[in-house]
Amino acid sequence: MSQDTPDQSPASDDAVQYDPTASRYDVLECRECENVVLALGRDDPPMTCHGEPMRRVTDVEMTVRPPDVRQVLLDAFGLPKAGLDICLCVIGEGPLSANEVAERLGYDRSTVTRYLNTLVDLGLLQRAQLNREAGGVVNVYHSVDLEWMRRETLVGFYVWAGEAAALIEEANLTKQDYLADDTDRSLPEVFWESFADE
Amino acid sequence: MSVTRRAVFEELAALTDAERAETTTVGALAAALDADDRVVEAHVDGLVGCDLARRDPDGCVRVTVTGEQLLALGIDGPVVVDPRSSRTG
Repeated sequence: MSQDTPDQSPASDDAVQYDPTASRYDVLECRECENVVLALGRDDPPMTCHGEPMRRVTDVEMTVRPPDVRQVLLDAFGLPKAGLDICLCVIGEGPLSANEVAERLGYDRSTVTRYLNTLVDLGLLQRAQLNREAGGVVNVYHSVDLEWMRRETLVGFYVWAGEAAALIEEANLTKQDYLADDTDRSLPEVFWESFADE
Repeated sequence: MSVTRRAVFEELAALTDAERAETTTVGALAAALDADDRVVEAHVDGLVGCDLARRDPDGCVRVTVTGEQLLALGIDGPVVVDPRSSRTG
């Protein structure tokens, strides 16, 4: 009997399965090779492989857990909810001081400053330094173009998804190699050792 | 009448000058914006907290050098100002 909590199981009631007729994305495969691609925001499958249009995958049986946007942002960009809250504050009204942002959101001021700089590093905000009348400088953070932000986050997520897909493929190959090898060791041992540095 | 902090900031920069230390009053600012004095006062306080405006001991206000530099950047949209930044950047 599994000890997993119900909300951890992909077979729970809110699990999602790819529906080629209703999903907001397409999963396409090549008729000739093992190439499988994800396409977002296109009405028609435009991609070709081996000179032929790729076809929609229609025979998926596996269900997956629905992604939680907070977890996705954390996993893909290292951005916790606090970071997103602060990013949204910069998109909203202003000018605001970092103190006001901290008070409005209920975060420490140091947290606000830290995530403002994280968002700059991610390319989601821009930072400028202005002179201060009393001496020194003042950092000013402002949002990048929203279309640019949309592209950056989507491409960034695809990079992360590509890395994740490569890991899954590596796991599958590890299992194949294990079956081909004549070894006394157990598959779990071999499997996790192959990802020891991950 | 509702007025945004951005509008108060831009009007303050139009009516005053940092280098020449030309100031105005909150009342004059509110009249220019056709806005409530208390609302404008609150926005000015916020701008002072951002180092974008300065309030003299007599209550008069003006844009700061920092504020003029920010407007000169032509940033089209809101910003967060971190006025406690390191003096060495």
